Amino acid sequence: MKVVTGVVGNDIHVVANRLMELSLHARGYEVFNLGVNTHLEEFFDAVVETGAEILLISSLNGEAEGWSREVRMLKAKYKDLDNLVMMIGGNLTVGAGKADEIEKKYKKYGFDLVCHQVDLNTGLDSLEAFLAQRN
Amino acid sequence: MSGSNEKLLIDVGSTYFKVSTAESIEQHFRDFNKDVLDDLMNKCGQTIQRFGKEDVHICSSANGGLSALIIGITQSFSLKYATNIAFNSGINIIDTILYQNIEEYSVPSDLIDVVIIVGGIDTRVNIFSDSLFNYLGRLNCSNIVYVGSEQDKSAIKDKIEGVVLLPNIIDNRLHIVEEHLKEYLTNLYQQDIEGKEDIKHLYDITANQIFSTPYIVNKALPFITSKLSVVNPFILLDIGGATTDIHYSKDLVVDDNIVTENEYDRLVFKKLGVYKSKQSLIFAAKNNEFVYELLTHLKVTENIFEEQGEKATRILMQLAIFLVLCKISHYRQAYINLKLLAVNSIVITGGITKVLTIGEIEDIIAFFYKKILSSEHNPAAIMDSNYDIWTLGAIGETVCQ
Repeated sequence: MKVVTGVVGNDIHVVANRLMELSLHARGYEVFNLGVNTHLEEFFDAVVETGAEILLISSLNGEAEGWSREVRMLKAKYKDLDNLVMMIGGNLTVGAGKADEIEKKYKKYGFDLVCHQVDLNTGLDSLEAFLAQRN
Repeated sequence: MSGSNEKLLIDVGSTYFKVSTAESIEQHFRDFNKDVLDDLMNKCGQTIQRFGKEDVHICSSANGGLSALIIGITQSFSLKYATNIAFNSGINIIDTILYQNIEEYSVPSDLIDVVIIVGGIDTRVNIFSDSLFNYLGRLNCSNIVYVGSEQDKSAIKDKIEGVVLLPNIIDNRLHIVEEHLKEYLTNLYQQDIEGKEDIKHLYDITANQIFSTPYIVNKALPFITSKLSVVNPFILLDIGGATTDIHYSKDLVVDDNIVTENEYDRLVFKKLGVYKSKQSLIFAAKNNEFVYELLTHLKVTENIFEEQGEKATRILMQLAIFLVLCKISHYRQAYINLKLLAVNSIVITGGITKVLTIGEIEDIIAFFYKKILSSEHNPAAIMDSNYDIWTLGAIGETVCQ
């Protein structure tokens, strides 16, 4: 299965991004890593060019909150992304916040899976469970 | 005949031609009532006759360049990569179509020199469908080249008559692969020159390939410091009679996802020039709200647009510098935005260096930085008054041959 991943916005947490890539590889995914400092449009465009089934965005400095507000609107401009699995993980807020409220907010933004301050392997387990359930 | 090592370098532009020998450089305004070769021989015949055909090297941008229509599936990858390759191959006029919306685009009435179809990494399949083939069926074009997913090649070949199939310009890591498309487009430019009545007569005086001027300039840039006091990163503005070329250090590109070995890229503004494209330059100026302030700064009114003569030309050239800087800044969202606050040198080449003084150019650059970027940043303006860059590139090309 193909996954496009990367770190959104002006965020340069490159080590976490590399760990994400290695973990996805280890689980058998074909990974297209856009690296850090990636704009939303680039994520969706990479999905179109590669035919990826999953988009996994990460954010470490809380920037995702600002960027993610545009996700639903931007995704709607693409004609063939209805079946794309949208996942986001990392530190998804600036300052403190309740995980369930953060999850609710990001799902409203258009994400299927939200992992706020969740361990990497636990997050990827939840992705696999989601895919198994969907199929 | 000249000594065995001496070369004669000729650049035929849309407005001027320049003739360079080891001793001197001549520049002449073109007589548009004459064939290029007749005009050249009339003005520089004595110099040209001193050289054998094998010692004459010509570059030209006077054939107008090729027009390209690029059909790709995303803005950030297929369209962006193909546009970058096309600009760097000397293509002048580029329009793009985002494939998913192809049915909403009108079909250009003019003949398109080359249509480039691109999209998908090699493992993607069935990307294009009837909407593409229907669109192409209504299009008037000379060449079609496919540089997309390997797996779709046979389907494309079956559906599009005469299509040229080249390797994908996007590799499986989403990186750009330039060489094949670049070589194809450069050869197409060469064939275009050979087919243009006006230009092909130039082969009567040279036994060497005629290159596009931007190609020659781009080749010179890595060696520019041997002739001019330029500090990287820099931009080079070649404001001509019909078009304006910009060559820039790749370090200046904001958020670039293109990774290549080229240190410098090229961008062209097709209708921004001070002679042939004068009217569209004035139109662009009138649509820029800062231009009236600039005219006041230059102590003229907008009536200058109606005037002829040297003063009007000077003002137009100053406006051209300002508009070009606007077009590559965040102020105008274009194909590319450059980090202009990081620029150390702005090199000016072309006929403009024979008209404006360094002081006039520095004045415009300072005005731009202050008004548009609200900055006191002051990159050094460097005049290539003696066409050193072009000479450097042309000599480099003769060494390679």
